[in-house]
Amino acid sequence: MGEIILCAAAALIFFGIVLGVLRLILGRAAVDRIAAVDMLTVMSITLIALYAHFVGRAVYLDVALVYGALSFLAVLATARYLERGF
Amino acid sequence: MNGLLLYLLCFSILVSGILAVSLRNLLAAVASAGLASLFAAVCYIFLGAPDVAMTEASIGSGLSVLIFLYAVRRTSAARE
Repeated sequence: MGEIILCAAAALIFFGIVLGVLRLILGRAAVDRIAAVDMLTVMSITLIALYAHFVGRAVYLDVALVYGALSFLAVLATARYLERGF
Repeated sequence: MNGLLLYLLCFSILVSGILAVSLRNLLAAVASAGLASLFAAVCYIFLGAPDVAMTEASIGSGLSVLIFLYAVRRTSAARE
């Protein structure tokens, strides 16, 4: 049962990354691409957490934590840039 | 499953690098460059180097995007 859930999560992350990269390639405006980058960041954090559970090493969760904080900072800076108030 | 995800991540690094070079909009190009280093950090995790991945995620995906956005802002203000 647990294996099925893990494989389903991996497949969902796979399709999420594929769709995000497609949006990044086909995006019309810059805002679309930035939204795609934000979505791919969340996908990567989920992928790291899934891999940490899959391998069984809790060290990888620290990387996901640092990654989440810093990518949030980057997206926040981009949003401030879009509002012309950097 | 592991190899397939690794191939997908490598393909995504390639696509983000090409987009970072070829996009005309500077904001989207900076976001794509940050995305390339972000996927590289996930690849480091898959290859078994979490400390390298943490450094890459903090500097490549966090700090360099901030510095690039600041530089774009300052240079476009100077041009106008």
